[in-house]
Amino acid sequence: MAEKRRAMVKIKPKKYNVGDTVKVDFIIIHPMDTGMQKDKKTGEIKPAKYIDNVTFKLDGKPFSQMKVWETVSTNPYFSVNLKVPGKGKITVEYSDNTGEKGSKSKKLKPKG
Amino acid sequence: MRRILVSTALLVSLAFSGEQFAMSDADRAMYAEMLENNPADIFVEEGGEIFEDELGGEAALAKFLGIKEKELPKYIAGFPRYIKKLGNVVGLDQVLQAMMAEQKKEQIKLKDSKMFSLLAYVKSLANDEQFTIDINADEHIKASYELGKKNFMTPRGGRGLSCNSCHSKEVIGMILRTQPLPDLGVNGAGGTWPAYRMTKSSLRSLQRRFQGCMNNALLAVIPIGSKEMVGLEVYVSKLAQDKKQPIAIPGLKR
Amino acid sequence: MERRNFLKGLGAASLVAVTTPTFINAKEEAAKAAPKGPNALSYDNAIRVIADGKEIKVSDKVDLVVPEIAENGAVVPVKVNVDHPMEENNYVKAIHILAKENGNARCADVMLTPLNGKGYFATRVKLAKTQDVVAVVELSDGTFLSANKSVKVTIGGCG
Repeated sequence: MAEKRRAMVKIKPKKYNVGDTVKVDFIIIHPMDTGMQKDKKTGEIKPAKYIDNVTFKLDGKPFSQMKVWETVSTNPYFSVNLKVPGKGKITVEYSDNTGEKGSKSKKLKPKG
Repeated sequence: MRRILVSTALLVSLAFSGEQFAMSDADRAMYAEMLENNPADIFVEEGGEIFEDELGGEAALAKFLGIKEKELPKYIAGFPRYIKKLGNVVGLDQVLQAMMAEQKKEQIKLKDSKMFSLLAYVKSLANDEQFTIDINADEHIKASYELGKKNFMTPRGGRGLSCNSCHSKEVIGMILRTQPLPDLGVNGAGGTWPAYRMTKSSLRSLQRRFQGCMNNALLAVIPIGSKEMVGLEVYVSKLAQDKKQPIAIPGLKR
Repeated sequence: MERRNFLKGLGAASLVAVTTPTFINAKEEAAKAAPKGPNALSYDNAIRVIADGKEIKVSDKVDLVVPEIAENGAVVPVKVNVDHPMEENNYVKAIHILAKENGNARCADVMLTPLNGKGYFATRVKLAKTQDVVAVVELSDGTFLSANKSVKVTIGGCG
């Protein structure tokens, strides 16, 4: 497969404690092609290519599962909350309608 | 004669319906919040990788420019500027290209999206700085500014329009094609590019944005990096400088 | 222009959805051939798929935040906050985001768990034109709540 798709996982605020509810943001560079647009250069219809599933996991266990359609903006952004149970690793996994899969992780590091 | 009629037609089409399309505070807050998760951040990160891994990072840039590393932010805030080594007033992107040539690295074209990412990263080293463009520093920057101003003011093309037709003081706030015309100085336009354009889903540089404007206004598009485009960038950046608007990259735009 | 082609495409798809006879079977409608998008689905059929005939109560416990006037239709921010606990046996189970006039009315769904701490979800959607954005919320006890807001989409600007 081509180079890994670029993405970011962010936790807000930057400093948090166990028991705090933080915001977990995921943003990924992905065309989210609807299958109804023409390629400007070739004039051909670009086939639909859009993320259709996103799963937020904490230490391997899903805590938010998303179903996504081509109506979500290109280079999509998703955000949920997380009540911090302790140290851990957040992994956001995605897949698209063409079978492409990927993931991005971020450590969960509460101060106290 | 046709040109005057066309300009009049433009004035007539501009409406004073400021309130109808004025952004409410709540809407403004929503769009400002989107800056915290700007897809452009990912492209800027990519630019940073190119800068560090392939060009030698800040150390190499400072060396190329003949300054100390810690002087970089304020120096970068003075671009476009005259670089003696290159014999021209140039943008930061042209300096990066010159570094590629000097290091015998593969050239990245000025209009390439990778160059926009690279430019965004390097220019963002000057984030929060005020522009430090001194248009009287030497004859070259002075000439570049004057050329930029002349291009900004000169009507041309099928509709007889100039940048000033839509960006003069007289029409600020009026509505054109459902968008209120911005005050480029007060909005600090020059300091917020490269920016992510939502309607293009991509990171674009200021000169690339100028090309988009020219396209729509039926002005012949000028190449990025040309004397005229660099002059325009000097002129528009000075507008932000005069209104004390800092550099804040990457921006987020329609 | 990419944006215009995209918007034209969505507009055409939604026109087709309006003028063809109403299909009760949402799957059948989704399976119809092009020129509609791959997931063309009317708002009414999307609701049938989501709530399966159950009552959906408009509630101000669902805070749907969208711009009154969207600068462009390509990237419209949508945020939902549900004023409801997130406890083991009483929590916000799902938030569905829909756009009434899009050819495919569904945008994104999230299935939440008590570990989320709050019934919150945010994303950015494409809107083909001025229309209502709707948030349908499913609670763990099977209740459905909703909120809807109109978003004016300005398709214009230069360059």
